[in-house]
Amino acid sequence: MSEVQRKKYTEQEKNNIFGQEFMPNIDSMYNFAYRLTFDEDDAKDLVQDTYLKAFRFINSFEQGTNAKAWLFRILKNSFINDYRKKSKQPAKIDYQEVETYYNSDDVDYTSTTDLRVDAVKDMLGDEISNALNSLAVDFRTVIILCDLEGFTYEEMAKILDIPIGTVRSRLHRARNLLKDQLRSYASTMGYQTDDEE
Amino acid sequence: MDDKSASTGDRKLSCNDVSKCFQLLESILDGENIPNSQEALKEKLAKCEPCFKHFHLEQAIRDVFKTKCTKKPVPPELEANIRQIIQEKK
Repeated sequence: MSEVQRKKYTEQEKNNIFGQEFMPNIDSMYNFAYRLTFDEDDAKDLVQDTYLKAFRFINSFEQGTNAKAWLFRILKNSFINDYRKKSKQPAKIDYQEVETYYNSDDVDYTSTTDLRVDAVKDMLGDEISNALNSLAVDFRTVIILCDLEGFTYEEMAKILDIPIGTVRSRLHRARNLLKDQLRSYASTMGYQTDDEE
Repeated sequence: MDDKSASTGDRKLSCNDVSKCFQLLESILDGENIPNSQEALKEKLAKCEPCFKHFHLEQAIRDVFKTKCTKKPVPPELEANIRQIIQEKK
């Protein structure tokens, strides 16, 4: 919301933008908020705050640009500024956070996993969701934005205020962590891994 | 490279440039606009076993997240609450 206010919309125009471009995204917004907070009340408050801010700053929204990306950026900033501090989740300081903090665009693509395609395809929805929820928030966020919401790297870079190279490397790290999690589910499901063959 | 090699499994077993290839494959899977991506993809999948395996595993992971991740229904009162607060602030 640092953009210069480009134009003044009339009350009618504001209502139209809000109703036709902002509100249809409420389902994605609520699920994003819930996956960040893991709490229904916090998710509701976060979405409500986001829509109120969106209306307040509606003149800095440029019609014809991606309303969903604009709203997601406000929600993400609200989460960092207001909710992350008072999150009911205990603060997790682990290697994922450290890795995020010292973020580097250099990614090791050579590490491979022996997770098998048929094991992934047989995963249940709960296992998939739990694997996602187990990731540190910065890694979880890029997977949500990319795989669940279909944003491009460029849109993710704007939503997260990070360079595209960092989007790419963070996504790659997030997927590697997911694969480790899915691999442990696969072994409990009785799938052999390549190592055991 | 023709399609025949893909079906016969006549692929090289090690990839000469894993970092570059895997990054390209992941960008293609993420829907990025890569010039000549379909030709590059076809060739890599036909020629290189590590690329073939990486691509199909990454594709399966994206597919299960897109289709199976559980969603929460939006609380029915949320939209009305937001609209009401905005009306009151006007």
